[in-house]
Amino acid sequence: MEIASAPTEAAFVGRRRLDWERLDALVRTTQRRGLGALTPEQVSQFSPLYRDACADLAHSRAVRYGAPLVDYLQGLAVAAHTVLYSSRTRRRSRAAGSWARFALEAFPRAVRRHRVAMGIAFLLFFVPLVAGLLGAIADPAFAVRIVPEAQLRPLVEAYRQGFDAQRGAGVDAAMAGFYVNNNVGIALRCFATGLAFGLGSAFYLVENGLATGAILGYVAAHGAGPNILTFVVGHGSLELGAIGLAGGAGLQLGWSLVAPGDRTRIASLQRAARSVVVVVFGAAAMLLMAAAVEGFWSSSSVPATVKRAVGLVLFGVVTAYIALGGRGADADARHRGEVDRWT
Amino acid sequence: MEPGTPLDTDIAIETPEHIVFRHRVAGPARRLLAYLLDLVICYGVLVVIALVAFVVPLGATEAAAKTESLGASVGLVLVMAFAAQWLYFAVLEGWRGTTPGKAAFGLRVLTTTGRPIGFREAALRNVLRAADALPLTYTAGCLSIAGLASMALTRHFQRLGDLAAATIVVLPNRARAVVPLVLWPPAEPQELARLAEVVRLDADQRQSIEMFLRRRAQLGPARELELARMIAPALGARFGVPSADPSRTLALLYDRAASAGRDDAPPSSRTPGSWR
Repeated sequence: MEIASAPTEAAFVGRRRLDWERLDALVRTTQRRGLGALTPEQVSQFSPLYRDACADLAHSRAVRYGAPLVDYLQGLAVAAHTVLYSSRTRRRSRAAGSWARFALEAFPRAVRRHRVAMGIAFLLFFVPLVAGLLGAIADPAFAVRIVPEAQLRPLVEAYRQGFDAQRGAGVDAAMAGFYVNNNVGIALRCFATGLAFGLGSAFYLVENGLATGAILGYVAAHGAGPNILTFVVGHGSLELGAIGLAGGAGLQLGWSLVAPGDRTRIASLQRAARSVVVVVFGAAAMLLMAAAVEGFWSSSSVPATVKRAVGLVLFGVVTAYIALGGRGADADARHRGEVDRWT
Repeated sequence: MEPGTPLDTDIAIETPEHIVFRHRVAGPARRLLAYLLDLVICYGVLVVIALVAFVVPLGATEAAAKTESLGASVGLVLVMAFAAQWLYFAVLEGWRGTTPGKAAFGLRVLTTTGRPIGFREAALRNVLRAADALPLTYTAGCLSIAGLASMALTRHFQRLGDLAAATIVVLPNRARAVVPLVLWPPAEPQELARLAEVVRLDADQRQSIEMFLRRRAQLGPARELELARMIAPALGARFGVPSADPSRTLALLYDRAASAGRDDAPPSSRTPGSWR
C-alpha cells in the first residue's frame, strides 16, 4: 500500500533531521550529566521534540521507509522515552520528603499491613529460640548438637571476662563490620528464600532462632548468663526484631504464591513483592543500626545497669514505633476507603 | 504460547504516545557474561581497597596503633564486602538502569511495561538473587540453578528476581542515523525510457533490495553480481529494465519505487550521499 502524498525518504529525512539531532543531543546530555544539566528552555523543548520523533516513527513505519531509518527513529524515541519516564525524574521533585516519609510512615505501616505473616515469623523465630535457650540451660550438651563446640567455647571465655577490659576502638570497628556483613546478609537471605513458597524463610527463622537460643543458653549454663544478657539487651530488640521482620516478609512472598486469590500467581507475587520490599528496606536499616550498637555500645565498659536500662528503653521505642508509626496516614487511608490497600 | 506468535524473543511495548517499541530481550548467555564482568569489577575494586586498607596500618610505628588501625581496616573491608554482595547491583541499577558489566554488553533493565526501573525494583530483583541461586547458597555464585530454570521457562528470560520485580533485561540498540539511498550516477535517459512509470514493490522486496544496496560496497564484485542475479532478472523483466547489470537494475527499481507517487522531487536529482 502506498500513501500517495508521503514525501520521499530523502526529503523526509532532510526536513526532520535537525529536530532529531537536537533531541539526540538533549538525550545524550541527560544520560551523561542528569536532568539538572539542561537549561529551562531545553527542558521545555524536550517533550515536544520527543512527541514529534514518535510521530515521525509512526509515519516512517506507515509509509514503509527503509529499515535503517525506522531503527534509528525507534532507538532515538526509546532513549528519549527512558529519560522522560524514568522514575528518577519523577522522584527528584519530592526527594527531600520521601526518606523521612519512608522512615516515619511507610515502614511501620507496611509491617502492620502484613501483621499475620510477621506474627508467624516471630513465632517461628522466638519459639525455637526459647526452646534452644531452655534446652541448653538444662543440658549444655544440647547446644553442642546445634552449634559446633569450637564456636561455643571461645564465646564462654569472652563473656566470662566481662566488659571491664576495654577493647580498642579498632576491634569495635572490626566487629561492627562483621555484624553488618553477617547479620544483614542473613536477614536478606532469609527474605529472599521465602520465594520458595515460604519454606526458605521458615527454615532460616527456625535455624537462626534455635542456634541463637542454644548459644545464649550454653553461655548462661557456664556461668556468664548476666554478662551475655547485658550484651544482648542493647541491640537485641533491633537485631532479632529485624530478622523476624525480614523472615515475615519472605513468608508473605511465599504465601502470595501459595494462595494467589483471584490473581494469577505471577501477578500475586509481584503485588506482594512490591509491598514487602518496604519491610525489607526497613529491616536492613534496623540491622545497620543494630550493628553499630552491637559493635560500639554493647561491648563497651559502661555499667551493666545503664546498658540494661538503655536496652529496655530501646525495646520500648522500637515496639512503639512499629505499632504506632504512621497511624495518621492509616487514618487518612481509611478515610479515603482504602482499607488495607497494598501499595 | 498461543499458535501464530513468532518464535523470536522480541517484546512489544506500547507507550502513552501510542508508539510500539520493540525490544530485544537478552538471553542467559549474554547476561551471564555481563554478570561475570560485574563480579570481576566489584570484587576487583574490593581487593584494591583491601590491599590499601591493610598496607596503610603497617606504616604505624607503635604496636598499639597498628592493631587499632588494622581493626578499623578489617571493619571497613567487611562492610565493603557486604556492599559488593548486596548493594552494588541494586544501587547501580536503581540509579542508572544498568551496571558497568551490563553496559559493556549493551544490556539495560526495564520494567515489563517498558519503563526504566526505580530503586524498589532494583533492590527486589537483586536481593532475590539469593533465591535464584537455590538450591545452592548465594556464595556458590553464578551457578544459579533456579534462576536458569526460570529463564528457560519464561518467555522473556526472566529469572525469579525479574518475575517478582516485574522487570526484563533488554538490548536497546541505538542505531546511528543513516543517509537515505540516492541513485548515483543519476539515471540516464535511455535507462528511464523503458522503465515502468510506477514500480510497486512489496515491503519484503523493498527491504531486501535496500539491504543489498547498502551492503554491496562491502561485498566484492563477484558476490554482488551473484546476489543481484537472484531477483534482478525477474523484477527487471516485469518493470522493463534490461538486466545487463543486475545491480544497477535493482538500484533503478529501488529509486523509482522509493520516489514514485510522492510529492517531492525524485532523489536522483540531488547530490550523492552514501552511494558510490
